[in-house]
Amino acid sequence: MVRYVAQRVGQSILAIFLTVSTVFVLVRLAPGDPAAAYASPLATTAELDRIRAQFGLDKPLIQQYGIFVQDLFHGNLGTSFSFQAPALDVVLSRMPYTIMLAVSAILFAAVVAIPAGVWMARHADTARELGANVAMIAGQSMPEFWSGIMLLTIFAVLVPVLPASGFTSWAGLVLPTVTVGILQIALISRLVRREMGAGFAAPYLTIARARGISERGLTWRYALGNSAVPLVTALGTRFAAMLNGVVVVEVVFAWPGVGSLVVRALETRDYPLIQATVLVTAILTVLVQLLIDLTYPLLDPRVRLGKAVAS
Amino acid sequence: MTATTVGPADGSGSGDTAAPAARPSAVTAKDLARSGAVRRRKSARLKIWIGSVGVALVVLPVALAGVLPIPGPDEQSLSLRRLPPLTGGHLFGTDQLGRDLLSRVLHGGQVSLTVGVLAIVVSGIIGLIAGAAAGFFGGWVDTVVSRLLEAQLSLPLLLMLLLVVALFGPSIPVITFVIAFAQWPEVARLTRSLVLVEREKPYVAAARVLGLHRITTLLRHVLPNVVKQASLVILLLLAQAVLLESALSYLGAGPQRPFATWGRIIADGQDYITTSWWLVTLPGLVIVLLVVGVNLLGDGLRDRARRRKGPQTEGKVSRA
Repeated sequence: MVRYVAQRVGQSILAIFLTVSTVFVLVRLAPGDPAAAYASPLATTAELDRIRAQFGLDKPLIQQYGIFVQDLFHGNLGTSFSFQAPALDVVLSRMPYTIMLAVSAILFAAVVAIPAGVWMARHADTARELGANVAMIAGQSMPEFWSGIMLLTIFAVLVPVLPASGFTSWAGLVLPTVTVGILQIALISRLVRREMGAGFAAPYLTIARARGISERGLTWRYALGNSAVPLVTALGTRFAAMLNGVVVVEVVFAWPGVGSLVVRALETRDYPLIQATVLVTAILTVLVQLLIDLTYPLLDPRVRLGKAVAS
Repeated sequence: MTATTVGPADGSGSGDTAAPAARPSAVTAKDLARSGAVRRRKSARLKIWIGSVGVALVVLPVALAGVLPIPGPDEQSLSLRRLPPLTGGHLFGTDQLGRDLLSRVLHGGQVSLTVGVLAIVVSGIIGLIAGAAAGFFGGWVDTVVSRLLEAQLSLPLLLMLLLVVALFGPSIPVITFVIAFAQWPEVARLTRSLVLVEREKPYVAAARVLGLHRITTLLRHVLPNVVKQASLVILLLLAQAVLLESALSYLGAGPQRPFATWGRIIADGQDYITTSWWLVTLPGLVIVLLVVGVNLLGDGLRDRARRRKGPQTEGKVSRA
């Protein structure tokens, strides 16, 4: 168990390091001069040189990388060009909003998708299930920016009951949550349905039924209980993906999170800010995935007893 | 799967199902039609049908955009700005510069679909090669590919894609590569697992005994056996590719100006959402129709393949 955890932590650190290095290399490889983007359009060559020197862009690449890694271990990710503040601070100040949106979206998705998936599994191969299935496919097929604009038009413009953008009150959380949630509900409910379908066909369920367990108990405790590992994996992976994947929805609703920050940072070629964003989100993603892996022993006694789990 | 008769069996039956009229059975034709297997087959067929119709409704007009009697996508007439749909011969209305929206959607669709198809071809080839090599050779090849697949899971994917597009410019090759990069793990993972099963089958051992090179065995014997199953995921990937491309262009990281991609038509139209609903709604509905169609088609084909595969594998292959 300790060895397993140590191995997972090692993998996670490697993944983070690879991500950061990739970003460093990509940014330096690309055409375009950050100094030119930072300076005023009329800047002279001397001014550009001064800016390069100020941000250490005049040093050789290897040396830049060395400085970059050294700073990394000191928690120093450079100064954002456009905010004139430590890049890490800028990202961390935006992070709570993205986490808030991701948490509320994943809770919303779980609350709707699990019962929906169970319902679909209970009504397997009926016309009703086909209908629900098609509805889920439709939810999965909508571009998030489009469904976001549609919801916004309906609930903030035509029937102005909810705020259209930004985060000024908790009501502002509703539309972004629903927009992110639609896709997640579609994906998770179909996963639940698949897993439950397999659970209902398993022999242990027949045995449990013969022992007189109620249908409700069979559904929720036996079939769903056995689907817990893939379900938690999916919820966790979706949550981790959301921490860096709600960019589009954040832009639609002008949500003050990391996503809208990074779009702006890309426009202004704010390298330190991009690096800090990718680093922070990569660490969060990896941590969430590590946490999921560590919940397996709680969910599945086979893992607790040291046997391999097939998934 | 076959329904067993529990009704008035008179013992004289030969077990032949060819003469249902003569033998009364508790299982009526209606029961059979209601059984799960039939329902599954029906719903798979229904999905394939609806999916094909949806795809055709979008793809055919997009492909024929050049010959259809509609105005060009860039023909402006400022006196005809933001006409609602169905006025003045504009089926989808006109946009803020008086351009025909239908024409823009169809021509934009050509770009979006080309990018999508190119992307899945690239990701399909990379994924197939990497997955097959990992599954067949095992050892360090498998380790490298599997670690790469794992590493990509923890990558902030959309951020990376945006970053690459922003850095290297939003040209069609860059966007194609970026989408392919996002999608190859899906194909690789599936191919790897299929090849892992296939590699243990007797014909692979036979090929080896015959003295075939391992690469020849993989290319000529193993790959043809998995390609069909692996290709079923392609349609689902196409749906994702179209969505990803539209999201990138919505964020301004799509193919640039002369091309009107779906994402950017919507991004441009959202400023007028309070007065001209069609500028966002209609292009969006076209995307949804296409993606729903592709998803349904892919789903239906997969259901059908699974059903066909089921009895065959049980009959012919001993499952260890």
